[in-house]
Amino acid sequence: MGGHNDSSASEKKLSEAANVVPTLNAENLQSNMKVIYYSRTFMSIIGGVIAGILGFTGLTGFIFYFLVMAVTSVGLIAKAGFTVHSYFDSWNQIILDGFLGGLLSFVLFWTFAYDIVHIF
Amino acid sequence: MALNLGFVVGILGVVILSHAAYSTVQYRGLLKIMEEEFSGPPLNVVVELLLGLVLCMWAALTVPGTFLSIHPHSEENRIVSLPANLDFMIFNHRARVFPVEMDLNLKH
Repeated sequence: MGGHNDSSASEKKLSEAANVVPTLNAENLQSNMKVIYYSRTFMSIIGGVIAGILGFTGLTGFIFYFLVMAVTSVGLIAKAGFTVHSYFDSWNQIILDGFLGGLLSFVLFWTFAYDIVHIF
Repeated sequence: MALNLGFVVGILGVVILSHAAYSTVQYRGLLKIMEEEFSGPPLNVVVELLLGLVLCMWAALTVPGTFLSIHPHSEENRIVSLPANLDFMIFNHRARVFPVEMDLNLKH
């Protein structure tokens, strides 16, 4: 409907004043970003638990986190059907978004699982 | 249905992971009895962890929902359904009993 597209276009203008041409559906973009965020958070928690059970310490655990996030990125790209630009603005959104927040969750659950399995 | 199935798979993955954690705890207890050092988890625990990782990955990719196209003119974003209150739309009204005076207005 015309009104719907107009409202999303005005949202887009508000959020990014530089982009003049309204070529995106901002509502769906927000929804896609939320899906990415949920996936990354869940995968960093699961990765933290696995790193803790495996008994990783130090740099190995962070390398494991990078591996898990890379696999998750590939999975998300595959979920998008390898046509990233019909669902996202740029590649950074699917590859880098939620990386640091996920790292915090990862460290939390990594130490948690390590303590439970290996120390207590 | 897809969401439900993914959710069940995620729960299964978490259960497998917790079982792997429990196995590792037992293995460490065994090592303590045998007075050996811990060098790494046993192979079945590693297999279990990989299985749990794959299941949880699948759940993480399916449960949060599907991607929606951001192109305004794509197939998914077109609205083809009619409004639900079609029965209440009235195209007849009183003005049709009045004579059309369009010609008079045009003459003056």
